[in-house]
Amino acid sequence: MGSMFRSEEVALVQLFLPTAAAYTCVSRLGELGLVEFRDLNASVSAFQRRFVVDVRRCEELEKTFTFLQEEVRRAGLVLLPPEGRLPAPPPRDLLRIQEETERLAQELRDVRGNQQALRAQLHQLQLHAAVLGQGHGPQLAAAHTDATSERMPLLQAPGGPHQDLRVNFVAGAVEPHKAPALERLLWRACRGFLIASFRELEQPLEHPVTGEPATWMTFLISYWGEQIGQKIRKITDCFHCHVFPFLEQEEARRGALRQLQQQSQELHPTCPPKRFLSQVLGRVLQLLPPGQVQVHKMKAVYLALNQCSVSTTHKCLIAEAWCSVRDLPALQEALRDSSTEEGVSAVAHRIPCRDMPPTLIRTNRFTASFQGIVDAYGVGRYQEVNPAPYTIITFPFLFAVMFGDVGHGLLMFLFALAMVLAENRPAVKAAQNEIWQTFFRGRYLLLLMGLFSIYTGFIYNECFSRATSIFPSGWSVAAMANQSGWSDAFLAQHATLTLDPNVTGVFLGPYPFGIDPVWSLAANHLSFLNSFKMKMSVILGVVHMAFGVVLGVFNHVHFGQKHRLLLETLPELTFLLGLFGYLVFLVIYKWLCVSAASAASAPSILIHFINMFLFSHSPTNRPLYPRQEVVQATLVVLALAMVPVLLLGTPLHLLRRHRPHLRRRPAGRQEEDKAGLLDLPDASVNGWSSDEEKAGGLDDEEEAELVPSEVLMHQAIHTIEFCLGCVSNTASYLRLWALSLAHAQLSEVLWAMVMSIGLGLSREVGVAAVVLVPIFAAFAVMTVVILLVMEGLSAFLHALRLHWVEFQNKFYSGTGYRLSPFTFAATDD
Amino acid sequence: MLEGAELYFNVDHGYLEGLVRGCKASLLTQQDYINLVQCETLEDLKIHLQTTDYGNFLANQTNPLTVSKIDTEMRKRLCGEFEYFRNHSLEPLSTFLTYMTCSYMIDNVILLMNGALQKKSVKEILGKCHPLGRFTEMEAVNIAETPSDLFNAILIETPLAPFFQDCMSENALDELNIELLRNKLYKSYLEAFYKFCKNHGDVTADVMCPILEFEADRRAFIITLNSFGTELSKEDRETLYPTFGKLYPEGLRLLAQAEDFDQMKNVADHYGVYKPLFEAVGGSGGKTLEDVFYEREVQMNVLAFNRQFHYGVFYAYVKLKEQEMRNIVWIAECISQRHRTKINSYIPIL
Repeated sequence: MGSMFRSEEVALVQLFLPTAAAYTCVSRLGELGLVEFRDLNASVSAFQRRFVVDVRRCEELEKTFTFLQEEVRRAGLVLLPPEGRLPAPPPRDLLRIQEETERLAQELRDVRGNQQALRAQLHQLQLHAAVLGQGHGPQLAAAHTDATSERMPLLQAPGGPHQDLRVNFVAGAVEPHKAPALERLLWRACRGFLIASFRELEQPLEHPVTGEPATWMTFLISYWGEQIGQKIRKITDCFHCHVFPFLEQEEARRGALRQLQQQSQELHPTCPPKRFLSQVLGRVLQLLPPGQVQVHKMKAVYLALNQCSVSTTHKCLIAEAWCSVRDLPALQEALRDSSTEEGVSAVAHRIPCRDMPPTLIRTNRFTASFQGIVDAYGVGRYQEVNPAPYTIITFPFLFAVMFGDVGHGLLMFLFALAMVLAENRPAVKAAQNEIWQTFFRGRYLLLLMGLFSIYTGFIYNECFSRATSIFPSGWSVAAMANQSGWSDAFLAQHATLTLDPNVTGVFLGPYPFGIDPVWSLAANHLSFLNSFKMKMSVILGVVHMAFGVVLGVFNHVHFGQKHRLLLETLPELTFLLGLFGYLVFLVIYKWLCVSAASAASAPSILIHFINMFLFSHSPTNRPLYPRQEVVQATLVVLALAMVPVLLLGTPLHLLRRHRPHLRRRPAGRQEEDKAGLLDLPDASVNGWSSDEEKAGGLDDEEEAELVPSEVLMHQAIHTIEFCLGCVSNTASYLRLWALSLAHAQLSEVLWAMVMSIGLGLSREVGVAAVVLVPIFAAFAVMTVVILLVMEGLSAFLHALRLHWVEFQNKFYSGTGYRLSPFTFAATDD
Repeated sequence: MLEGAELYFNVDHGYLEGLVRGCKASLLTQQDYINLVQCETLEDLKIHLQTTDYGNFLANQTNPLTVSKIDTEMRKRLCGEFEYFRNHSLEPLSTFLTYMTCSYMIDNVILLMNGALQKKSVKEILGKCHPLGRFTEMEAVNIAETPSDLFNAILIETPLAPFFQDCMSENALDELNIELLRNKLYKSYLEAFYKFCKNHGDVTADVMCPILEFEADRRAFIITLNSFGTELSKEDRETLYPTFGKLYPEGLRLLAQAEDFDQMKNVADHYGVYKPLFEAVGGSGGKTLEDVFYEREVQMNVLAFNRQFHYGVFYAYVKLKEQEMRNIVWIAECISQRHRTKINSYIPIL
């Protein structure tokens, strides 16, 4: 937990990896996931790097893997993930893997090729059979006889050279979408010297390559003359038709058809050489999963190695990496272990660095979701105060303030509890549904949210919008009735009656915990709750924001910017607490000191607060305590006086420190540099800005680049944002009230409109029981869908906003970047 | 058509315009070219192209990689994008896109006819045809013997049909006639396209008309240049010029009389736009007229993206992509032939 408060110390480490052992070292680091490599070759393009050949080989291999995978998928088999952790193979193993996969792929290709050839042959035969059997016969034959009978006399009359004119045939099949175009083109090109008949195949044939069913159009063209024939052949060629020989005699055709059918039947059983294929696929199934993981790791290692630079002697590779200081011993050990074989040991040592290190916050399964909420806004600056540990409590609490209902909270809690208890089950882990995964990842968050909702539900005294009376109510109706002597006639006339707490015995004292259940019967229930919830929202808001400002103190102290304590945090706190803290004080003071007895002349806080800013007083509004106006005036003046301090303090301080620095720069700079060089070992031990001196030095560096106007502008924006923000953020916390009101009212409406109508429908037990079944079902479904899911999401959203905007902008910059270590974890999963 | 394309343009074409602008963002930048030029082998080139929006489009190519494989794959990609645009387009954008394919179709038809004349196999020539200009009846082109045959039998159903009206003749298809046919087709195609854009009005006309005018003028110059020393008569030459553009009509008449490059240059000197182009020819780096025209075209097409709500972006994108492909092919050729001295004479786009 301790590491949650701020991100861990991260150091820049230089790794000297002996060339022979570099691969094993990096692959070991990938297994451990300790370091994030920095790219030392950013200026070198991808193909000029050192290990590009190896990367390319891995890619080649991956290409083959994809082919194999595709084949496996086509065969309808499923690849199982490999068992156990597979380390990245030594480089020499790559050749073996490559050979094996190549051989497998080649065999598979051969088998596929054979199969394909057979299928193509079968397809061709089937098409041919279809063309012959399509029944163009009779029609064409008719056309044939018609033509002869009509034309013979005409042609014979001149007795010219056309005597040997006879009808020829072209038969074939074409894809349906091309058929109309083909028909038209034939007609145009050949000027009607042909008769073409097109028919669609009744049953679709399997496409030889894709295996999908495809229909074909068969056609039979009869034509006159050799030239036309050539043209037709050209045209059919260019439409990629399958053209088959078409015998003229009916019997011959039938004979050919029979032969074709016989052939295709012979082909059919031999078609898939299944057994050999399944043998090959079985070997693929064994080889592929581990191979994929191994090659993937190998490629990752080479890509990491590509980021290293080569030492001048070419004996070792130099890598720079970010590593958590806590992990340094583990890193050293890992390097030692993996390089002992080679005789030369790999070394890691810290080097000083001017860049901001990445942010590393270790989380466990409980804190991860809360850290996630914070990181979604922005990853924290290096070593900045991390709001996540506080969010663990405040987030579910603020959510619960808006969601307060024992019943709904309990449902949520049980749902989350079920997920928490089942979290180790493989089926739950493996679920792919994205929505489910979102809920599952936030299970601990949901658990706390449910728990807190139960708590606030008890305070609001609401369970599915009904009040529970665990303790006896503090109000006594009997006492009131006895004291004021209500008669039966009086009771009959008045629908509503007032309980007066000033009458003795009516108000016995506050309810032990939460809101008195008697309020749920009262007509002014809502106005009572509104007043309570509104004030509560403001109190929670001011406390939350003040806590945010206080957290800023730890940032200033840690980064050695002590001046900001005095010039920023103090004015901010004074402004916030002087104005809105005072409002909170007024609220609590009035709760404690104004009793029901003086209710008639109770002072109005709202009027007091307005008067405070106007420096006036209204005679009708009784002061809360003596000398109130003096206190108020002092507070306002103090708060307003803080604005110029906040506006000008930091810029003036920085400028004052900056000026002497400027003057002594030419000489001082060199000395500093020298000192920096001499201090190197020292600095490497101290690390980045962990001690104040160093941070101060860095500050100087920053200031040297800053322009006064920029500093002023920045601070002005900050000041305006803070002062206006105090007002608007306080108002923003009123969403707690609004949302909780909305939730209470919605559940009230649901109860009144569905459940209580159902309960009142019938007096007979049997009927009532039957009627209640669907009504309760509707109530339950609507409770879950509207009140739990919809309202829950909206309350979640608003709680999120309150944390990101109202709370975190007081101290959190969120401008860092995450440490993303080089790891194989994703590949192993 | 109503003015004010802003109001209704996005209803029909907004999606595609957004898409084409996104595609334009994937064009290679100057930095990419600098990296490409440094490549030692085609494999390097492939690796670098993988880091750009081309992605692993060469992943399925078997080794060894050749320039023509790269070219084919790039064309396929462009064609895929264009098909997507076309399948999702509504009128009148789809007509506009059809007009765009016409120029490729003309080229393909001419290519096939030339091939048939030289008795080359259809398959071999089909490989050279631009995929954007493909149509079903294309392969049947070689059965035609005269232009009217060609028209009546094959092209009558294609979008090219209207352009044929001027070039119906019973001449046999020899090499010269084919060339004339191409130029006549091109002429009537450009005129029709120009008319279409002009009639469409709005921003499309504002953007497309200058581009097409430039295209027409370029053709006029190129025709003139290519006709020097051939048997083409001056009258015939004049009939090939597209009848619009900045040169039309006086410039074209002067061009028709030109007899060598200098005279042509004199004609261009009358026009502020073309004077600097001709002056750049042969200057530093030994640029040809063609290069200069390409550069100017790229410039105009890039500018087309500065305005919104018009169809010109589709035209400009395809032309820019073509230029990019020419650049990559040029660089790849230089690399594979180990002829690095001229590798830098590509035309950067962005």
